[in-house]
Amino acid sequence: MNTTLTLKRGISAEIYKFRGTFTLWFLILAPAFVPTINFIIFMSKGEQIMANGGNAWQRLLSMSLDPANFLFAFFVIIVALFVHNIEYTSNTWKLIYTQPLNRTTIYLSKLLVFFGMLFFSLILFGLFTVVCGYAIHFFKTDLGFAEAFDKSFIFLVCIKLFLATLGFASIHFMIGQVQKNLILPLGIGIAGIISFLILVQGWEYAIYHPYGYHMLSLQNWKAEGFSLWANMQPVYLSLGLAAATLIGCGIYNAQKRIF
Amino acid sequence: MEQYTIETHDLDFYFKDFKALDGINLSVPQGSIFGFLGPNGAGKTTTIRVLLDLFHANHGTIEIFGKPLKAHKTEILGRVGALIENPSIYKHLSGRQNLEIIRRMLNAPKSRIDEVLKIVRLTDNADKKAKHYSLGMCQRLGLAAALLSNPDLLILDEPTNGLDPSGIIEMRELILELNQQHNKTIFLSSHLLSEIEKLATDVAIVDSGKILYQGNLEGLKAQKQGIELKIEVSDTDKAAQVLKQLNFTISESTPSYVKAPISSKEDVARINTALVQNDLDVYQLTSSNENLEEIFLTLTKRLDQ
Repeated sequence: MNTTLTLKRGISAEIYKFRGTFTLWFLILAPAFVPTINFIIFMSKGEQIMANGGNAWQRLLSMSLDPANFLFAFFVIIVALFVHNIEYTSNTWKLIYTQPLNRTTIYLSKLLVFFGMLFFSLILFGLFTVVCGYAIHFFKTDLGFAEAFDKSFIFLVCIKLFLATLGFASIHFMIGQVQKNLILPLGIGIAGIISFLILVQGWEYAIYHPYGYHMLSLQNWKAEGFSLWANMQPVYLSLGLAAATLIGCGIYNAQKRIF
Repeated sequence: MEQYTIETHDLDFYFKDFKALDGINLSVPQGSIFGFLGPNGAGKTTTIRVLLDLFHANHGTIEIFGKPLKAHKTEILGRVGALIENPSIYKHLSGRQNLEIIRRMLNAPKSRIDEVLKIVRLTDNADKKAKHYSLGMCQRLGLAAALLSNPDLLILDEPTNGLDPSGIIEMRELILELNQQHNKTIFLSSHLLSEIEKLATDVAIVDSGKILYQGNLEGLKAQKQGIELKIEVSDTDKAAQVLKQLNFTISESTPSYVKAPISSKEDVARINTALVQNDLDVYQLTSSNENLEEIFLTLTKRLDQ
C-alpha cells in the first residue's frame, strides 16, 4: 500500500482525536501570551519604551523573542506530554496498534503531528506579534510602528527556532513514547533548561547542550549586521540529535510491547 | 479438511525470566466461536496480544487466514477486529467521533459508522460523550470499533468483564448474532466457564501458559475419568448401606447427600431402583460429569476465579 496514503490516514486520525481538547486551545492561546502582554505594556508605557528612539518593530520583537524563546522550551515539553497522554489516559495504545497500519506509520503520524503542532504555534506566535504591532499602531500612531521593518524576519526567526528545537523536542517525544509518567519529563525538561542556563555562563561545551540549541541559534540577533542564517551550528546539532533520537526511538517502537 | 482461521505453533513468550506462554498450539476452526478459557493470569490476554502482534513471541509461529502474521501483518489486521480487556475509548469524544478516528485509520466509508452503531445497538447514544457511557455501552462501542473494517475474525478478550447481568446477556446475544448472521469467526477469551459454555462451539483451556485441553465441549466432558453420583435422599445412612450392598464405595456422606463413584449411566438406574425399593425418598441424582465447572477446576487446579 502507498506509504504516503497510509501516513495521511494516520495523521488525519491523529489530528481528529484532539477535537474539543485543551491541547488545541493551548496551541492557540500559548503563542498569544507574550504578544498580549507586550500589547498591554506598549499601550500603557509605549511612550517611555520608545523615549530613546529606535525602530518600534525592532523593540517589540526584542520584547517578544527573548521571553518567548525561554518559554518555548516549556511549551515543547508540555505539548509532548499532551500528545502522548491522550493515549495513556484513554488506554488506547492497544487500539491504534491493532489497526491495519504498520508501527512505523503510527509512530510517524504521531511524530509529525507533534512537530506540526510546534510549527503551527510558532508561526502563530509570529503572526500574533505582527498583529500586536499593527494593533498598537492603530491605537497609538505616534509610537513609530509606521516605520519600515521586514516582517518576514519574524517568521524566519520562528522557522529557525523550530529547527533548533527539534533536538530536545525529540528527546521529549521519545520519553513520552517510552513511559507514561507526567512528572518525569517535566523534571528532565526543567533540569535541562536550568542546567544549560548555568553552564552557558562559563562552560566551553555548553554549546552542545541539547536544551540550549534554540537559545544559541538566536544569539546576538539584536547586533548590527546580524544574519539569521550565519550561525547554523545549533540548528545542525539540533537536527543531528533529532535524527539520532528519532531513529533509535523508531527502532525501539517497532520492538516494544504494547500494553 | 477443516480450515483454521488461526493456527499457532509452539508459541513461547517470556516476561523477563517468567515463561508466560509455553508451547501454545492453537487451531481455531473457521466460522467457530472459539472459547479460550483459563483462570486469571493463565496467559489468555498474553496469547491475544501475541496474536495481534502487540507482543512478539520469543519462539513459534502464527498463521491467521493461512498466512504468517509476521510477513502479512497489515493485511491480516485489516481482516481482524479486536477488543482487548478494558475499553480503549477517548472519553472526551462522542461514540461516533471515537469511531471516526478508527474509520480514518482504516479508510472505511463513512456509512460504515452508522452500520456498526446499529449492529451494537448504540445509534441512540452515538452522539453522547463517551465519558457518560456505562461500562456496557463502552464495551459495545469497543465492539463497534472492532467491526468497522467488517472483519472476518473477531478477537474478544473478556468482553463481558465487569458488565451487569443484562449487559452480559446483550453482549452474548451480539456475539451469537455476529457469528450466525454475519459469519464471523470469534475468538473469545473468558475466565468464566458458564459464559463459554453458552456461546462456544470449540474450546481451549489454558493455565500457567499451557494448553490443557483443546477441542469441542462434548470432548471435554468425555475427558472426565470416573463419574461420581451425588444422591440426595431422605435417609443418607440407610442409603449408604444400600449402596454398599450393591458394592459401591461411598466417597462422601453428609446428612443431606451421599456421593459414590459409578462406572456407567446404567449404575444410576440400578442405584435409584434399589433406593426406592428400600423405601427411601430420592430427591435428586446428579452425575458429576455434567458439571463442566468441576472439570475446569480439576484441569486448572485453581480456585482464584
